[in-house]
Amino acid sequence: MDERPISPVLKAAAGLMFLFLLAPLIIVIPISLSGDTYMAFPPSSWSLRWYGAIFSDTRMTAAFSVSLILALVVTALSLLIGLPAAYALVRLRPLGAEVLGSLFTAPLLLPTIVLGLAILLVFAPLGLLGTFQGLVAAHLIVTLPYAIRVLSTALATLPIPVEEAAATLGAPPLTVFFRVTLPMMRSGMVSTAALCFLVSFDEVVLSLFMTGPRLSTLPVAMYRHVEQQADPLVAAISVLLVVLTLAVVIVVDRTAGLAKTFVR
Amino acid sequence: MMSIRPDEIQGLKQAEGFLSLRGLTRRYGNFNAVDDLNLDVAKGELVAFLGPSGCGKTTSLRMIAGLAPSTSGHIVVDGHDITGVPPYRRDMGLVFQSYALFPHMDVARNIAFGLEMRKVGKAEAQERVREAIALVRLSGKEQHRPAQLSGGQQQRVALARALVVRPSILLLDEPLSNLDAKLREEMRNEIRDIQKRLGITAIFVTHDQMEALTICDKVAVMNHGRLEQLGTPLDIYEHPSTAFVAGFVGRINRLAGTASGGLAEVAGVQVAAPGFDGRVEVMVRPHRVSLSAYAPPAGDDRYALAGTVARATFAGDILEYEVEAGGVLMKSEAATRGGEGVLAPGTPVILSWHRRDTFVYAAS
Ligand SMILES: Nc1ncnc2c1ncn2[C@@H]1O[C@H](COP(=O)(O)OP(=O)(O)OP(=O)(O)O)[C@@H](O)[C@H]1O
Ligand SMILES: [Mg+2]
Repeated sequence: MDERPISPVLKAAAGLMFLFLLAPLIIVIPISLSGDTYMAFPPSSWSLRWYGAIFSDTRMTAAFSVSLILALVVTALSLLIGLPAAYALVRLRPLGAEVLGSLFTAPLLLPTIVLGLAILLVFAPLGLLGTFQGLVAAHLIVTLPYAIRVLSTALATLPIPVEEAAATLGAPPLTVFFRVTLPMMRSGMVSTAALCFLVSFDEVVLSLFMTGPRLSTLPVAMYRHVEQQADPLVAAISVLLVVLTLAVVIVVDRTAGLAKTFVR
Repeated sequence: MMSIRPDEIQGLKQAEGFLSLRGLTRRYGNFNAVDDLNLDVAKGELVAFLGPSGCGKTTSLRMIAGLAPSTSGHIVVDGHDITGVPPYRRDMGLVFQSYALFPHMDVARNIAFGLEMRKVGKAEAQERVREAIALVRLSGKEQHRPAQLSGGQQQRVALARALVVRPSILLLDEPLSNLDAKLREEMRNEIRDIQKRLGITAIFVTHDQMEALTICDKVAVMNHGRLEQLGTPLDIYEHPSTAFVAGFVGRINRLAGTASGGLAEVAGVQVAAPGFDGRVEVMVRPHRVSLSAYAPPAGDDRYALAGTVARATFAGDILEYEVEAGGVLMKSEAATRGGEGVLAPGTPVILSWHRRDTFVYAAS
């Protein structure tokens, strides 16, 4: 890319933008290191006690396990369902593929609270409320549209002659798919996985409807905690979450290239 | 004039060649990309598809390889109609115009792919891959990904990948278009050698007449999706059956005239034109037109025309004159021999050419 001089005004604007985006971190990190028993900024004393407190809070550690396993299951299922769906939409082009494509992304356009209410009404009679399966199903409703979109784009930009070359060299369709198509979609798959993982791990609104007294995700557990107590525990958890998110992003960047993955 | 030779008539009745196309047609909307293509290629023969851009060469190859459906017509290989057979069961190699290498595999694995699909043993596969890489002069680049190669190198990988499986039919879509002149000549001779050695039946698509004429057994000249002429390079060059072929292969002088009673009048010369009536096009190649100070002796089978030099172009090995004669500009060229000067514009000269070098076609 050409390096062009950036005007100072643009630099200042970008700086302000970054400050705005990072502001929550600037507040949250000091609070997480607070030695106080209540949230205050700036803290009156410093300690790591709230990081320690996370691991002795069984509600939080249980919720973290639920969130982690949930995000992994949802990510795997999103890829498993999204890939054939994208393949059908892009390659087999059934009648009304355009309409179907829009339909699959429709859940993203609905306010999540409306979606949550609808899911509640449908899932309650099925006995899915407060169950892990119910949570998985609810999260899939928001992750699948992302998965189908990103995978469709990845598929649509693949050069078809490469697959044709494999066919003329004697590879039957399934072999072509696994040996050529899928490897060429690697960066699309990685970004889909990262996106689905983060969306599921962060999801609050739908989870609020779906969780019960014995099953809670981490964001919901944090929300409930803040409702009852104003100690810096959630700040410490938040910092750990930021670190986890960064780790995911770095993995994506290393394997697929960040710019290629999220900027299209 | 569309001459139909006896072998073509026979070919229409039954599949003669190892590879036969029967009425192969591909329609996009109401546009015929390939229009009623009939062709027989004998076993071990190398046939060139020659024609202008967009005339349907790639479309024909894709149908033969099974990558694109035909609108109508049949493809017969070794007596079997394979029209509906999927590409992976056709045992054909295709070198794509766009190379189509596997971006996620290195050079060696790209080339080994077809052998792997054919379940060739590991040791043999390695040996054959090594040979193929040496053949296309890419030794040392085995571990490179396609993205790390130049266009010409990628093209050679594509060639090696198709050759290494020794397909019964090899389809080459402008396989040398991205190479420099020297490498191109080397590669075309390599292709020719290996194709003859292994007895592969091959179709070679090219824009380059030299390539078509020098290495191919037959040349199929195509235009607007139709086969204009199929013949040996000599046939195509010396007996072009249509005005298009005469004009497309090699350089040519085109003269407009009118024919009646078996003679055509062009630029003040009477040219034999048996069977023609009305407007005609008379053609003769520039290097068959000789230029002299005197008229050819009477009784010689030559047509002669007086004119004056309009322009001389000296190109080192050849000298080309444009001569104004009988109201038209005619080109004459000859190899330079040394020790001769260049005639100045305005010099009166006599142009002459042999009867047998004269092609006559009905004007379209
Ligand atoms: N998918 C398509 N839809 C409509 N027309 C097409 C399509 N594919 C090819 N054509 C048309 O068919 C004709 C033949 O195309 P083809 O690619 O076979 O040409 P070609 O002889 O290989 O040309 P070139 O020498 O430029 O490669 C062209 O006029 C092209 O515009
Ligand atoms: Mg082409």
